[in-house]
Amino acid sequence: MVSLRCHRSKYIWATLGVLALLWLYIFPVYRIPSDKEMVEEVLRQGQTWSRNQTAVELYRKLLTDCCNPKRMFAVTKENSPLGKVLWYDGEFYHYHTVTNETYPIFVQDTPLQLPLKRCSVVGNGGVLKHSGCGNEIDRADFIMRCNLPPLSKDYTDDVGTKTHLVSANPSIIEKSFQNLLWSRKSFVESMKAYGSSYIYIPAFSMKPGTDPSLRAYHALADSSSNQTVLFANPDFLKNVGIFWKNHGVHGKRLSTGLFLVSLALGLCEEVTAYGFWPFSVGLDERPVSHHYYDNILPSSRFHAMPEEFLQLWHLHKSGTLRMRVGSCAKERMELKREK
Amino acid sequence: MGYSDPTASRDLLGNRSLCFIFICAFGLVTLLQQILYGKNYIKSGQQFSRLKGEEVGNWSGLISYPDDGGMKPARNGRKRYLERIDGSLQFNSSSCKELRQDITDVKVLTMVKTSELFERWRNLQVCKWDQNKEETDNFKMSLSRCCNAPSFLFTTKRNTPSGTKLRYEVDTSGILHISPEIFKMFPDDMPFSKSQFKKCAVIGNGGIIKNSKCGREIDASDFVFRCNIPPVSDLYSQDVGSKTDLVTINPSIITERFQKLEKWRKPFYEVLQNYENSSVVLPAFYNTRNTDVSFRVKYMLDDFESSRGVFFFHPQYLLNVQRFWAVQGVRAKRLSSGLMLVTAAMELCEEVHLYGFWAFPMNPSGIFITHHYYDNVKPRPGFHAMPYEIFNFMHMHARGIVHVHTGPCR
Repeated sequence: MVSLRCHRSKYIWATLGVLALLWLYIFPVYRIPSDKEMVEEVLRQGQTWSRNQTAVELYRKLLTDCCNPKRMFAVTKENSPLGKVLWYDGEFYHYHTVTNETYPIFVQDTPLQLPLKRCSVVGNGGVLKHSGCGNEIDRADFIMRCNLPPLSKDYTDDVGTKTHLVSANPSIIEKSFQNLLWSRKSFVESMKAYGSSYIYIPAFSMKPGTDPSLRAYHALADSSSNQTVLFANPDFLKNVGIFWKNHGVHGKRLSTGLFLVSLALGLCEEVTAYGFWPFSVGLDERPVSHHYYDNILPSSRFHAMPEEFLQLWHLHKSGTLRMRVGSCAKERMELKREK
Repeated sequence: MGYSDPTASRDLLGNRSLCFIFICAFGLVTLLQQILYGKNYIKSGQQFSRLKGEEVGNWSGLISYPDDGGMKPARNGRKRYLERIDGSLQFNSSSCKELRQDITDVKVLTMVKTSELFERWRNLQVCKWDQNKEETDNFKMSLSRCCNAPSFLFTTKRNTPSGTKLRYEVDTSGILHISPEIFKMFPDDMPFSKSQFKKCAVIGNGGIIKNSKCGREIDASDFVFRCNIPPVSDLYSQDVGSKTDLVTINPSIITERFQKLEKWRKPFYEVLQNYENSSVVLPAFYNTRNTDVSFRVKYMLDDFESSRGVFFFHPQYLLNVQRFWAVQGVRAKRLSSGLMLVTAAMELCEEVHLYGFWAFPMNPSGIFITHHYYDNVKPRPGFHAMPYEIFNFMHMHARGIVHVHTGPCR
């Protein structure tokens, strides 16, 4: 009887332990604010923002120590020589060995002309609609955009026209351009909207994405485009993911926007983020679309956008990063009235 | 434990059964091969006799005729060998009639030794070639009945409307549904009509064209057909010319040299620039593997905003051509691009000249030559029956249907 009780007690305690671990993993100890609470928080903060140079330098040091964006953000001939094994950052087990076929298409070294002073990172949030931030975005020295957003005339006033770096997810190449296996004309034509910019492609994150990414390079090279294809370094992406996991972002994978913000914080002196708003309600408490160009909701299995926004908002409040959430035009009017 | 297995001595799928199965399989395969590809000389002879109606009644006489033929060429050969002047005798002279008869007397390729055939062909070179209007018209009529290139050479919007279930040439590939996207790639109608061109040249890439200096003569033709994107650079233009109006591409070339156009596309585009503004033809509907690569060629030219025409052979046309030539004695798993082009040219042109069509390892004088004029890569075995094709062309030359050029051009 004594041994029987002892066994039951062990099983019960083991089960409770496992459940506790699951609880902690699935449900973080703090609670994400709701959309309404977030709106109130942003409105309470107001539009005034002052830069904190100490916080900026501290954060840049943190990012440089963990991820070294200056040297490691892109796969180059210097950081990925022939024969190097690039382990994929989005999947276990898969890797890509640098061969005579892939090595020539890497850039020699990090091509960005550092230091970058004022950087704009443009997300695709629906809050950009009717925001009038286009001119302000275009005034930056370096402008980063996410996932090949449309820059047609309909959106010029809100999102600007200039681009220095634009990211391209292989899934976009697969869905919008039929994996570039057939006609490539529409792809080459749509890329002309980004001028002579860098096309930043995470080719070595997931196995299905490698071939479309290489084909994107081939398509642009064949058309004598003046754009440069940069392949994201999987080590850099992995380290950035670990960094943000330690700072409260528990998604399976970071969104492209957060990757670009991390890159900007590591390379730029002054960073302003536009269009980062993952909530379904705007500042006027009316519904807002997920993107400024459509309302296709994200796949919730991958990203943790509200958590990401919360962390960026903390950086905004501490003076490290400026978040433009409201209307740029309205602020200009208010400034004019004050004068 | 003390029991013994009662079935221990049974020979279930044992050695003897396996031997029996293998022997049956071997016999079955041999039987099928004989049925499908067997060389039936009598039947072939009858077919040739049927084509030349006047000889049907004299079938028994042919049995002893080769003996007489064997005597004549030796005598004639000695005479002509001393003169060795090409093209000096008139078409209608009695000597030339005899020399042409020497070629047509050889009913099948295996009837005489290759050296004997070469000697007869060599002797025939002293005669000028002239078109036999009657023979040519008969040939064109039979082609028109079976194949009808002016209507079915390529898939067009007219002969392959949207929604068609197009059957592949290879039976195991099944059927391709012609979607509006595919339909858009087809031309509105056939770009060529019957006997549209007066004089045409079909270039066959054979090594025999090397040092022939036929380039100027080829470029003087009204329409030039080329096979499998051969090089036409300055290095070769003296022999093969540079004018190109239609060029075929075997999708296997795109797969081997250009990675199926899944990666770089500009190198292939630059190769096509060598052929002026010629049209490109692909056997897209031979099997499913060819379809993707062939469509990609069309898309690639659209990518570079090229106005070059891209056409796809109609699979039914190719099947009909294959059956037509099987009756003539060319039995192959797949016809060569050269034979396809010659067949099409016969219907689209009044007079057809063949250059570089020679599939033997040596030229008519017995000197070894390369397989192509630009390399010596042999074809894959088991697909084409090129010596039989060339043999048929020699017959057609002797009958005045096509002009086969194997010697140097003046």
